[in-house]
Amino acid sequence: MISANKPNKTARYGMSIDLDRCNGCGACMVACAVENNVPPVPEEATARKGITWIRVFRVDNGEEGEERRSVFVPVLCQQCGEDTPCVHVCPQQAVEVDPATGIVGQMPERCLGCRYCMAACPYHARYFNWWDPQWPAGMEKTLNPDVAPRMRGVVEKCNFCHGRWHAAKERAAAAGKSEILPGDYTPACVEACPTGAIRFGDLKDPASEAARAAADAHSFRLLEKIGTEPKIYYRSTREWVRQAAAAPKPQEKETAHG
Amino acid sequence: MQKTRREILLFMGGGAAGAMLTPAPWRLITDTAIWSENWPGIPRPAAGEVSERYTNCALCPAGCAVRARLVNGQPVSLAGAAGHPWSRGAMCAFGLTAHHLPYHPDRLKVGSASEAETAAAVADAMARRGAGEKAAVLDLAPGRAASAVYRRAMAAVKDGVYLTPERPLGGARVDLSKARTVLSLGVPLFAGWGTPGNLYTARANFRLIQAEPYESATAALSDEWLAIKPGSEAILAAALAGKIPNTDAAVATGLAEQRIVDVGLSLRANGPSVVLAPENSPEVFELNRALGAFGKTLVADDSAEHGAPDGATLASVPDGSIRVLFLDESVPGAHIPWKAIERKLVPSNPLVVAFAWSREGYGRHAHFVLPAAVYPEMLTDIPSALDSPAPMFRLAAPLVAAPAGMIDPVAFVAKTAGIDPGNPLREKADAIQKAGRGSVFTPAGGKSTPVRSLKPDDFWKALNNGATWMGEPAAGTSFAKPASTLAAGDASDFRLAVAFTGAHFATLASPLMAKLYQDSDLRLAPDTVALHPDTARAAGLADAARGKLETAYGACAVGLVLDAAVPKGLLRVAPGPETLDICGANTRAKVAAL
Repeated sequence: MISANKPNKTARYGMSIDLDRCNGCGACMVACAVENNVPPVPEEATARKGITWIRVFRVDNGEEGEERRSVFVPVLCQQCGEDTPCVHVCPQQAVEVDPATGIVGQMPERCLGCRYCMAACPYHARYFNWWDPQWPAGMEKTLNPDVAPRMRGVVEKCNFCHGRWHAAKERAAAAGKSEILPGDYTPACVEACPTGAIRFGDLKDPASEAARAAADAHSFRLLEKIGTEPKIYYRSTREWVRQAAAAPKPQEKETAHG
Repeated sequence: MQKTRREILLFMGGGAAGAMLTPAPWRLITDTAIWSENWPGIPRPAAGEVSERYTNCALCPAGCAVRARLVNGQPVSLAGAAGHPWSRGAMCAFGLTAHHLPYHPDRLKVGSASEAETAAAVADAMARRGAGEKAAVLDLAPGRAASAVYRRAMAAVKDGVYLTPERPLGGARVDLSKARTVLSLGVPLFAGWGTPGNLYTARANFRLIQAEPYESATAALSDEWLAIKPGSEAILAAALAGKIPNTDAAVATGLAEQRIVDVGLSLRANGPSVVLAPENSPEVFELNRALGAFGKTLVADDSAEHGAPDGATLASVPDGSIRVLFLDESVPGAHIPWKAIERKLVPSNPLVVAFAWSREGYGRHAHFVLPAAVYPEMLTDIPSALDSPAPMFRLAAPLVAAPAGMIDPVAFVAKTAGIDPGNPLREKADAIQKAGRGSVFTPAGGKSTPVRSLKPDDFWKALNNGATWMGEPAAGTSFAKPASTLAAGDASDFRLAVAFTGAHFATLASPLMAKLYQDSDLRLAPDTVALHPDTARAAGLADAARGKLETAYGACAVGLVLDAAVPKGLLRVAPGPETLDICGANTRAKVAAL
């Protein structure tokens, strides 16, 4: 779901996720794990210790019986803009915002595993390697050679498939171009989504599908009020879904419901 | 200006101390320490020549077109083939991780006996069969080229019988592109039914009414959700077809009478409509006939190119009559509870031979289990998709070589029956090419070509490179009414309805699929049951993490998840090796303490 438009010198990559189309199939989650060499979690792990750079949550409207309505919300690193909490707190400068792409990058080689960034992230989109990565015997043959497996003791998160960005840059260079054409770079989750709910592109390019979807009247971002300027936009025509994304405090909720 | 040695040393010391306040030395420390973070415990992905190949996914009849990325000939990722006119670049989570299956921890690499020992035992059992004792092949994925060989083999054997599972909608195919209203009676439309790419393309043009006791993923995305009482789907269908009064149906389903009337009006006013159900039942048949779905949104599967005709159903074979049974589960297909199969075997000395790629499944119950190749190691064709009105022919061409010692089920059965299996795939391809109908889409080139313009060898080559042949839509008008809903034995003691939460082939999943149930709560883990806390309390399982699931077919241990969103009287069962043995069509169950 990428528009093929003219290249930009600097980009501000982002996504728009249509929650009215997401069916919670999990294709994005496993495609991400395959692309980024995220291992299966050991059986003894708890639900909070697994690594899923993109995780689909099921959220409901709190009603019972036939009034109950659910929505599937894929949550990944929100790629915050100007005020990126994880960058501010990292003592190792292991987190950086790439000025050329706007992508918040994580460098496991610099990470010392203090997990300040995990505490600072308001979206819980960062994961810690509690174990060395392990795959069933033979399955390591299927690892993606473009992405190095991370070691025990470091934090990792979505980086919009940085390996694919590098590959696209190399292809562009081989073709004698200095910049990536938008359609040449697609993260694995976008490619895998069978419903076309996830759109990716340069938010600075008003013609890109992601930018157009982000400008939709029903688009919103998670926790907009805290001012992190995420580059992941969500869209739903359902009012209760948009309200849930703002995460009102309980008393605000009561007021809202009268 | 003269500098003293002291001043130079002071300058150097100050510079060094100042540098410590900059990020440079700290970066240097971590950057030079990378070697310490690459210990042998961390696998290193193999580098090498990168290439692409196209094939088709063999995990279900959707047969989505696959673009595989290979490094040194080893597939490292699978993705949908963009631009494909049928699967439209979409794949499900199972298909995206299918390249892990050859390395699954439960992979069967060695059989319970050698091929020769198994063949000798089979020959002995075949020779010792008494009067009327049958030899049978149970083909769980009918409609393949291999199916024709199985049929031929059983025809060549005295008292041989070729068995196939009963198909949903009696083998009719659904044309969603023509539907304006779809009533789904618990069909997991967005969780394993049909072809994802085709389904989501057609979805924009039809209104979906989902009748289901709990809010499944399909119900969550439906235009209207009818929260009916567990097990009342057939009653709703009968009422909508005008076979029983709406007042009775309202009591049975828990829906308001006016709501049932409105749904009926909607189905008739916003046609063409179609009613989908997971099992073939007379109520659904009658409703589809009343709505005029046959010939419009449901097409008869009467094309010879759809594959070999179905065989006899298991229900049509007398209990205790099969002496020798071959079970081919190398290709994922339909599921029949083992206990339902077992009751068809002769009481003493039956012989069951299973061809399996996994240690789970029917092989656990077979007397002999022989290891078979698995997708994407094997070469097989894929039956036409349930939601395709036109016949299709696709090959799942191997992406990696199968390990040594794998047995070809078709060759084994043909040898047992004393027939020559020939090359059924090539013969089927040649027959299609000779008939000259339909077109071939080649994913590498991204274009469709009339099949008559291709030579037989070129057609065969294209098929082996992931091409899809699509014929002309079937135009048959013969639809067989099912005799009755399948019964799962005496259900009087089993008061809870069972709803499977996903496709049965969920058990054939990459270890990475644990991301969906262990790392998140998106799905239930295999062999897990979700139930209402009151249901659990009534069974004395208020605080239990595990319990016993019992059906008319038997009992097994399951994990328990308490979920207030599951209606009372319903068990949401996640398919797994144990639950699949005892749950089938219209199963009712009870839970108890272990």
